[in-house]
Amino acid sequence: MPAELIADGVAQSRAMNSPAQPPRPPQSPVLPEAGSTPAAVSTTETSPSRIMVAVGPSRHAEQLVRWTSRQAQLANATWAAVHVESTRPLGADDQRSVDRNLALARELGAKIIVTQDDDIAAALVRITQKGSFTQIIVGRGHHRHGSGWWRQASLANRLLELPHAAEVRVLPVDWPTVVSPRPLLEIPARSSRGEYVLVISVIAVLTILGLQLPQSYYVQVGLVYLLAINLLSLRVGRGPILTAGVVIALTWDYFFAQPYFKFGMDNLPDMVLFGTYFAAALIAGHSAARLRAQARNERRREERATALFNFTRALAEAKTLAEAAQGAVAQIDAMLGAQSAIAFADECGLGAEPVFYGTFLLDERERNSAARAFHQRRVNGRFTETDVDSAGYFAPLLHEDHGFGILGVKLPATATLSLGQRDLLDAFAQHLALVVERAQLRAAGEREKLLAESEKLHRALLESVSHELRTPLAVIAATSEELVEAKLPGNTELAAEIHEAALRLNRLVANLLDQTRLESGALRPHVDWCDPQDLINAAVESTCDALAGRPLDIIIPEDMPFVRADFALTEQVLTNLLLNAALHTPTGAEVTVAAGIEPGGRRAFFSVGDRGPGIPAALRGELFKRFTRGAAAPPGGLGLGLSIVQGFIAAQGGEVILSENPGGGALVTLFLPHTAPENPPPE
Amino acid sequence: MTTKAAIAVLVIDDEVQILRLLRHALEADGYEVHEANTGKHALGEVACLQPQVILLDLGLPDLDGIEVLRRLREWSQVPVLILTVRNSENDVIAALNAGADDYLTKPFRARELLARLRAILRRTRTASDTPVVRFGEIEVDLAGHLVRKSGVDLHLSAKEYAVLRILVLNQGRVVTHRQILREVWGPNAELNTHYLRAYMAHLRNKLEVNARAPAYLKTESGIGYRLLED
Repeated sequence: MPAELIADGVAQSRAMNSPAQPPRPPQSPVLPEAGSTPAAVSTTETSPSRIMVAVGPSRHAEQLVRWTSRQAQLANATWAAVHVESTRPLGADDQRSVDRNLALARELGAKIIVTQDDDIAAALVRITQKGSFTQIIVGRGHHRHGSGWWRQASLANRLLELPHAAEVRVLPVDWPTVVSPRPLLEIPARSSRGEYVLVISVIAVLTILGLQLPQSYYVQVGLVYLLAINLLSLRVGRGPILTAGVVIALTWDYFFAQPYFKFGMDNLPDMVLFGTYFAAALIAGHSAARLRAQARNERRREERATALFNFTRALAEAKTLAEAAQGAVAQIDAMLGAQSAIAFADECGLGAEPVFYGTFLLDERERNSAARAFHQRRVNGRFTETDVDSAGYFAPLLHEDHGFGILGVKLPATATLSLGQRDLLDAFAQHLALVVERAQLRAAGEREKLLAESEKLHRALLESVSHELRTPLAVIAATSEELVEAKLPGNTELAAEIHEAALRLNRLVANLLDQTRLESGALRPHVDWCDPQDLINAAVESTCDALAGRPLDIIIPEDMPFVRADFALTEQVLTNLLLNAALHTPTGAEVTVAAGIEPGGRRAFFSVGDRGPGIPAALRGELFKRFTRGAAAPPGGLGLGLSIVQGFIAAQGGEVILSENPGGGALVTLFLPHTAPENPPPE
Repeated sequence: MTTKAAIAVLVIDDEVQILRLLRHALEADGYEVHEANTGKHALGEVACLQPQVILLDLGLPDLDGIEVLRRLREWSQVPVLILTVRNSENDVIAALNAGADDYLTKPFRARELLARLRAILRRTRTASDTPVVRFGEIEVDLAGHLVRKSGVDLHLSAKEYAVLRILVLNQGRVVTHRQILREVWGPNAELNTHYLRAYMAHLRNKLEVNARAPAYLKTESGIGYRLLED
């Protein structure tokens, strides 16, 4: 069984409260596998569970993160990776490794929480309570950072001492090779050389002044030294102040304490004084440094908040995406002292040549690096794992796994990107993603509205034109028909002429309206099962007058299945083709209408063949254009017939082929997509 | 046409010429014609005139024809014949679903109009007292569930008979796909029009002289079916 410390909140913490509790002996250095979770865990789990893992700079933190991710997945829990920054700054390598671990956690789906506190345990408990986490996972050895050199209790023990309701699990991870404990009086890199010079100069001046006084004033000199240390601690860092403590103690001993000009003291009060100075210097230095660090963190937090606020305001003020990009770039440039650039993606992606707004001019390599960041949905370039030789750091603008663009930042060659800055850039990228998404949604909404308006207008126009044209035609057709039927002597032929003209005009109006319908995009085919026999019958019936005197051959196979088509559109298409056949062939010429299924069963076809002059091959493509008519076509007609045929069939996902009718004449074949209909259920 | 006791018909249309034309045709056939130009006017007229049949144009200036129909159907079952233009199958289906009895596409023939009116009126007047219906060589005995062709009993399956029965009960009138599918296969089968087409093909094979050119069981483009009268 893997070594784990499963403690349940307050009850356990009481038990662990005794300082005599020996630390658990190190056990197997191997991380427990997710599958080998002890049975005890499932009984202590509550739902919905929220798991928190503490992440430090150790490379084992990576294992810790992966293990927690699996646990969270198994328990179907949400989880967060927490990093506690201490006032003691991390080394560059450690900072990078923390960044990497947090990035990994984010990739695996964790929420990232970074907080600042010197007491990691207290910070973890605070976050636990704030985020109502049910489980805290720590690795053994977490205590080394920031819990203070005077406190050696392990993080796990500290966590158990503090009151909270979460379950604590300690995973034994083996990392002695990584931990190289810092020297106690390690001088942090942040203290500058100038601070040392200042400290030494002040001590030198005080010493020279002190030497002018009678030797009996040595106690007062010591007090002045103490005052100096306290004052200096307000100005300089931890290193210089500790140095100052040591130097002052030694100087005082050498110059002012008996025996003079020799190290060492011959009486107890002086030794006590010496020790006091030394301790006071250390304490003053340490607490001053802490204060300063806290102030610095405070400032950093404030800067971060201000930066976010300014950034959000810049975005909110922008009226267009380009303006938003300009505002964002200006903010980032000012904040990081960097050059930056932003490119936006549209619905189809980033595009081959994205336009970058901003001060950071990208060359070919940077562009590739940016594109990779966008396509892989993760940061890329400098300060990351991939494309490290590119000058820019690229973060995709992501929202709910959808990429909205890319943010590129080029920092000066010597600069580093701290975790805080990276976090801020991530926050900016998320903000920008939201802005782009909002803009895209708005644009889509407007497009949609415009389309609907235009469709409505077209429909209204079509309906009114249709009504206005057809009404008088209907009157003419009806009255002329009545006249024909009244059989008035001498006038019947005239009435018949009027009637025929009215019907022809009606067809023409219908064709014009159909063409308009096609071009306005207002055509919405209603595809349904149709009986091909019905379709052909309907078309033949409506053209029987025009086809009079021409033998009509209808060929439909016995086993012809139903086809999927818009009945009205397809009937109209067949009618147009039959009228064309009637128009282009002499009386008595045979017309053939056929239907069938192509070999393979993927397409159904209808064809209309005639014995007229046929269609020259060169003209076949042309005839589908509106207002195009064959050179040999008899007068009459607008040349809309085939254009409508083509449009109606294309709207149903089909295809029209013009060809030579075997044996002479024209053959028009319509192909429609086909799937065999299912049979009705048996009765 | 002479025995008609002046059936009152209300024509709802905003086109004066169409109104005059309809009046001419209808009065020649013995109807008593009333007119209304707008949807609102028409609704008032229906209430006070109590016409026996209504001719309704779908394109009215104030109210959509279908809206007029909907309001009318809230309180009246008077038969309604829709007048419409080509390319408006959806409007026709909507109107039929909203309670219209039949439709006629402009330009129409006077004969056609009168035939449709007769079919509508016959159905509402003699709803169930015609147990035997004849068309061509076919005789359908609704009371005995029997179908005879030239005096010889035909065997129809239950579903075939159900489809035929709906058409016979509405002889001369259009019946939408939806109406038949709902009634025969249930409300969940409204989209399975291929069932219906398959049964119509069977019926035509059994009843029509030439199933490929049916004389009675007619298809109404994109709308439904109609059983013609002799």
